[in-house]
Amino acid sequence: MKTRYTALLLSLIGLNASAQHNRAQRDSTKVIDEISITAQAKRKIQTDMKMAVSVDEFLASADNISFIKRGAYAWEPLLNNMSMERSTVTIDGMHIFGACTDKMDPVTSYVESNNLTAVDITSGQEGNMHGATVAGSIDLKRKSTPFGLDRKWNGAYQTGFEGNNRQFFNLGNLAYSSDKFVADGSISFRKAGNYHDGNSNEVNHSQYSKLNTSLGLAYKTGALSSVRVDAIYDKANDVGFPALPMDLWLSRAIITSAAYKQLFEDGLLKVLDTKLYFNAIEHYMDDTKRPENLVHMDMPGWSTTYGLVSRANLKRGAYSAEIQLNLYNNLSIAEMTMYPQDRSKKTMFAYSWPWVTARFAGLSVNNTWNISDISRLNIGGSLGWNYNHSKYVEFNWIFHPGTPQEKNRALPSLHASYQLNFRQLDLSVGTGYGHRAPSVSEGYGYYIYNSFDRYDYIGNPDLENEISYEVNASAGFKGERIAVEAKANYFHIENYIVGRILSLGSPMNYQSVGVKGYTSLQYARLFNMALNASYDILQHLHWKGTITYARATDNKNGNLPFIRPLSYQSSLHFMHRNIGIRTSVNGDFAQDNYSPEYGEDHTPAYIVWNIAADYTFKIGHYRAALQVGAENLFNEYYSTYADWGNIPRMGRNVFSSLKFNF
Amino acid sequence: MNNIFSFFTALFCFTVLSCTKEKTDYQAETDPAVIEHHEFKEAYSIHSGGYRISIEALNGMFYKGYNELRLKIMDSRTNQEADVSAVTFLPIVAHADGRNASCPHLYDLLRRNGENHFSGYAVFTEESDNDTKWELYIGFTANGQSYGITQEVAVHEQANKNRNMTTFTGKDGQQYFIALIAPQRPKVGENELVAGIYRYDRPGNSPSGSFPDPTQYSYTAVNGFTLQLDPRMPEPSMGNHSSPNNNDLTQEDDGLYHGIVNYTMTGNWTLNFILLNHQGQILKGTVVPDDFTPGVEGVKSELHIDILF
Repeated sequence: MKTRYTALLLSLIGLNASAQHNRAQRDSTKVIDEISITAQAKRKIQTDMKMAVSVDEFLASADNISFIKRGAYAWEPLLNNMSMERSTVTIDGMHIFGACTDKMDPVTSYVESNNLTAVDITSGQEGNMHGATVAGSIDLKRKSTPFGLDRKWNGAYQTGFEGNNRQFFNLGNLAYSSDKFVADGSISFRKAGNYHDGNSNEVNHSQYSKLNTSLGLAYKTGALSSVRVDAIYDKANDVGFPALPMDLWLSRAIITSAAYKQLFEDGLLKVLDTKLYFNAIEHYMDDTKRPENLVHMDMPGWSTTYGLVSRANLKRGAYSAEIQLNLYNNLSIAEMTMYPQDRSKKTMFAYSWPWVTARFAGLSVNNTWNISDISRLNIGGSLGWNYNHSKYVEFNWIFHPGTPQEKNRALPSLHASYQLNFRQLDLSVGTGYGHRAPSVSEGYGYYIYNSFDRYDYIGNPDLENEISYEVNASAGFKGERIAVEAKANYFHIENYIVGRILSLGSPMNYQSVGVKGYTSLQYARLFNMALNASYDILQHLHWKGTITYARATDNKNGNLPFIRPLSYQSSLHFMHRNIGIRTSVNGDFAQDNYSPEYGEDHTPAYIVWNIAADYTFKIGHYRAALQVGAENLFNEYYSTYADWGNIPRMGRNVFSSLKFNF
Repeated sequence: MNNIFSFFTALFCFTVLSCTKEKTDYQAETDPAVIEHHEFKEAYSIHSGGYRISIEALNGMFYKGYNELRLKIMDSRTNQEADVSAVTFLPIVAHADGRNASCPHLYDLLRRNGENHFSGYAVFTEESDNDTKWELYIGFTANGQSYGITQEVAVHEQANKNRNMTTFTGKDGQQYFIALIAPQRPKVGENELVAGIYRYDRPGNSPSGSFPDPTQYSYTAVNGFTLQLDPRMPEPSMGNHSSPNNNDLTQEDDGLYHGIVNYTMTGNWTLNFILLNHQGQILKGTVVPDDFTPGVEGVKSELHIDILF
């Protein structure tokens, strides 16, 4: 069940794609495309409604991604209704870990839509290529211009304005391509004020501003080999989190890599791609702008990761395989310094991440046999070693006296799937088994305040591995004008890690009501389902609809939190000549299966209408597109099941964007 | 292109090599200004009757609170250890108004096997000043003859709050003393908490003999008591924060009371106590509320010691 969205940007690559494919295999990038890209649905980084979207908005358009939202920025992606620590989120296979204990900086907040070309979302154990996972993997693909394009210089510029929160953005990217040398550069600025909810009330502390820039340089060292260095620099400051008792003052990330790629024309081995990487993140919270905070607290966090990812592609006849080696070392540090009301008195200090090292080494293999023209078998597995070390283990000893400072874990994973394409029918069944290690917070976190259930969370270094057993299936039908697809998966997860109220200990954070410790449920069960359909009503009029449903319970049949209720989306797209008109409606049914134990309350149903129109035109040789539209047209006041602290979502938002390609 | 490249290289170097805010120096954070004393140094040296009496204390100084002492008695001529016995020790404080008092101490100093000194302790209850003078009365027997000497000593302020002490009258009408002995320098996490608990033995007779009459100034280290412990951060911003996995203090073979205290973070802490006698009756102390009360200064037990860590 591989839901892979590969999107070539409308800009340079997209426009040149056809030209490329007509040419003979004259450059290495072409060959790589042939080998690594299997059946993929190509999607641009834009949604059904908007052509200029943030990475979060783009991800939100995938069936199996939902978001916990703490404001207008840095949404936490949930894959298969499972939280961030259950999926691996990587950038081109590079592991990056946020530096905020309160998940205010998921990896997806450190990239921008104009330096990505695609996002690969792989569900369940099939996502183990980049390391141990339960929910699956999200790999953000960096933009990488091929060698030897006909046009040496390509670029795009995009600007836009969103009325509700006065967001103004400018995104630009430029690429140079010759036979030997390629350079990709991008820069983007976004600045937004507070947004307004459906009652037209301002949601305070929801502003943000972000700068993202990237540079990639590639050089062809031989007919079949190339080196590439890449860097992304991202800086966000003055970011409000209305659902949290604090904001972000500054976060910065530098993400770098150097890669060497070698292609082979003969033999079993086709591609060898090895990359060394380093990334560093710093994250500083700010609680001084909240008058309700009587206590000032500094909470800086740092996360530094270096690693190696090496991938080999094998192919012979009907057999192909992908082998990947992942090595990384991460150091996570988070501090709490509390200031007494009498500032002359001594400050109070503790580590919320006491210099925790996470080291991982793993080898993943995925084999594919094309058994016949209509059927295909996938079998894969991985074995990983996970090592944790807590430098200031005395913090962990307070709740877990005598726990070892170091911990080694073996993380095996297996998966198999069978696909059948028979005429207009697509069928697939799959199964998987895999372990994951607890995250830094789950293992070693110390008094991490969760403003959702208002508890301080304590990690437990002795947690067992979470073990997932998974089955999945999909069935699809493609007719001339109609297409229907149903997908479902079921996870039975042993030692499911959750926070449970501790009878001992008392809260440390000012707004907290108690202490929860991470413990393992005996098991939890999750079921996800999505139904997609599309229908071409007329030549220029297309309809698309999606229904998703999920249900998750613990071993006592209690509800798990942040599980999406029955939700739906339906959109109509009319396209004629240079004009496109889109309208969509989406909503959730009421969240009846909520979990009071984890701080949830009943969330009522909502429905939101959107409409947009775009116009494509040419200025000289340059292609341009203009779009205007409105989200939440009827200014519905709502908040979803995953809005932290029930903060209301954005009310009516009139947006406009303009894009040039040159 | 070169310009862009150098710009990015510079940016890279800048961002990799520098963090916007420095990380906290944890070592410095947990090293309070107080200096930890481990070494016994000579505090006073007295010559009397052909003997030299050397009094040693940690850092060569006496402080308010618990002081471990070592006494060495040497023959002045040979400078060899003298063969002495029945070494006694009695600290007396003289106030300007003429009142005399003592403090918890070990009267009959101990000679342990393999040691070249006599051991004892004193829990000084007051610092020396113009109106408060401490004197040590030391007695010993050598060659069948009794010697008695007096030495005025200075008792300094104890800057380390982790060696704090408290004195109170229990519900049984007796006067008690609790003095913290260890840890001198607490750390985040688990600390073995050691305290001495003493009672003043009210004399049954009137003073007799020459001053001072030891029976008037008798103190005992109490046996079989329990000191219940509830550590909390009193700072209003901490909302009565406490820590888990603490153990009450009970007596061990050394006569002192040992327990476990966990400090979850650095800062001001209050050790709230309830003292139970050997029959389990409360002598002093109140249960403190355990609810989280942000913005309110933590309620302390009527028996408590503040420490700073």
